[in-house]
Parts: sequence; structure tokens; C-alpha cells
Amino acid sequence: MSAVCGDPSRAIVLLAAGALAVGALACGRAEPPPPTAPTLVVRDAWARSADSGGTTAVYFVLENIGTIADTLRSVGSPLATNAGVHVSMDRRGTMQMVSVRSLPVSGRDSVVFRPLATHVMLTGLRASIGAGDSLSLTLDFTSGTTLAVAVAVRQP
Amino acid sequence: MMPSGRRGLALLPLLPLLATFACEAPLHGNEYDPVSPAPTLELTAAAGTFRLSDLRDTTVLLYFGYTHCPDVCPTTLTDWAKARRILGDRAAAVRFVFVSVDPARDTPLLARAYARQFDSTFVGVVANEEQLTRLTRDWGVAVFTQGDPRRDDYGIGHPSRTYVIDRRGRLRLNHSPGTTPEQIADDVRRLR
Repeated sequence: MSAVCGDPSRAIVLLAAGALAVGALACGRAEPPPPTAPTLVVRDAWARSADSGGTTAVYFVLENIGTIADTLRSVGSPLATNAGVHVSMDRRGTMQMVSVRSLPVSGRDSVVFRPLATHVMLTGLRASIGAGDSLSLTLDFTSGTTLAVAVAVRQP
Repeated sequence: MMPSGRRGLALLPLLPLLATFACEAPLHGNEYDPVSPAPTLELTAAAGTFRLSDLRDTTVLLYFGYTHCPDVCPTTLTDWAKARRILGDRAAAVRFVFVSVDPARDTPLLARAYARQFDSTFVGVVANEEQLTRLTRDWGVAVFTQGDPRRDDYGIGHPSRTYVIDRRGRLRLNHSPGTTPEQIADDVRRLR
């Protein structure tokens, strides 16, 4: 006969210890994952100076340094009445802007917002912005991530 | 075997031919062939009437855009300003003309102020509705509203090219978006 079977009190102690161990493991699974560093980063954000009531474009590099894809679903700025992502396209000699509803960013990939291509358009500026100023921009993603971006203003 | 000095001399008769080829390197812009006079352009300006025909003896760079344009127009005018700086003294014989095709929002004063933000010598004018109809017909270009015109943030579909008119008033070439300031300046220098 084993020692457990032979000594009921010892068996109870061992069972309790086992239960505690299982419980601890179960609790470990239920705990939220430890906080991780943000996987979406914005760099080199800039915009052209513009007058109050006018329009400007914001350019930057949006980088997903994580492995999980995310999607940019909206943009906003307290400085502008309206904000949206657009792509400038030359169609048979006519320049047009195409509105982008959502913009996927794959893991370990980046999207470049640059002149004559993808950009954030800000319209109905509530104040003039000049070189040396900074404006704030927010980017919302389907994952629930929101990025607050400080945008440097340059001369036109 | 011919000595190297003699060999060099033997190439001398070919020099004019080589020079011809060097001079005939294609321009960076898209050249018109055949070359013909630029279409008429007469518009409302802050200080009277702007006539393209008044700008003889200068090279003219002409762009159709609008002041609420967030991306392409300011990019083009920024590149013009850089090209003008590259041209140095030769820029005195060049006029950079921004034509607004958005009469609903742009005024002659606004168009002028907008163009001068980029360079104080830039000309800014606006086409009124009647002039716009004539302009699109004469220049063979499309201009249309994108979005809700009742809102203030609508866009305008407008010609993507910069038109280059020579000193004799002939439409010689156009530059696609993305032509660099260096290429613009080089074309202006080489345009005969």
C-alpha cells in the first residue's frame, strides 16, 4: 500500500496541495496578459501651413512593428471640422482624390503617407497654422488602439 | 597602330555630331508634337484681367488647381518655388501662373494670396464660371466637383499637368505630377 493510502491525514494534505496547484494554474490562465508595448507607431508626421478655414494635408509613416495586422478606420483632429484619409490619383491627366474608408496595415509592415499619394486631409481649419506650430491628430484602429500624434507644421 | 594623340584628333570631325546628340537629349516633360500656339486664356485677376498672350518673351508655367486642394496643388507650387530658386537669375524670364478652377470658393484676391504664399513672384488668378467653360473647352481638360458642393470640403477634379509655354507663346510640353524641381528647371533652361 502506498504512503498516501496508508496515512489518511497525509493524503488530505496532498490533495489540498494538488487542488491549490490546479487552482493557481487556472487563476494564471484567467489573468489578463501582461501589458505589451504598442505595436503601431507613427513617425515623421508633418503638415503644410494653412490659413484658418482652409485645408491642409498630413503626411507620416505608419508602422506596424508587431506581427498582428490592424486597420486604420478613422482619423480626427480638434483643429479641423473634417478629417479623412484620401489618395491622390492621376486618371488620364485629371487629378482626383479617392476617399479611403479603411486602411489595413499588415504585421511588420508600414504605410507611407506622402505628397501626391495617400494623405490625411484636414478641412475647415479652426485656426491658422504656421511653420513651427504643432497640431494633434488621432488615428483609430479596429483593434481599439488609438494613437495620438503630434504633427509638425512646415512652410508650404 | 595610330598614336593615342592622333586617334583623338581623328574624332574631331565627329564633335559637332556628338554635340547635336547631346543637345537633343529629350526633355523631362511630355513634348507636344507638332508644336502649336497655346490656347487662349483670359481670366479675372486681382489687378484687372490676366491674358496669357500678354506674357510673350517669357516662359510660362501654368497650373490649373484650387486653393482648397490639400495635396497636389501645394506640392506642385512648392516644387515650382524650388525650381525658381534653382534657376537663379534666369527665373526673371519665367512666369509661374496658378489658375484656380474653383470659382465658388476662390476669389481673385484669394488666388493671388495663395500663389504668393509659395513665392512672391507667383501669379494667382481665378476662372469664373463662364471663363471655366471656355477654358475646359479650349485646353481640352476636365474640371468637376467631387463630393457634396453644398459642403465646404468638396474636392475638385482638375488637370494633373503643368503646362509649359515658350517665349513665342507656343505650348511646348507638360510636366506630370512628381516631376522634380531640378527637372523643371532643366527643361526651362533648355527650352528654345
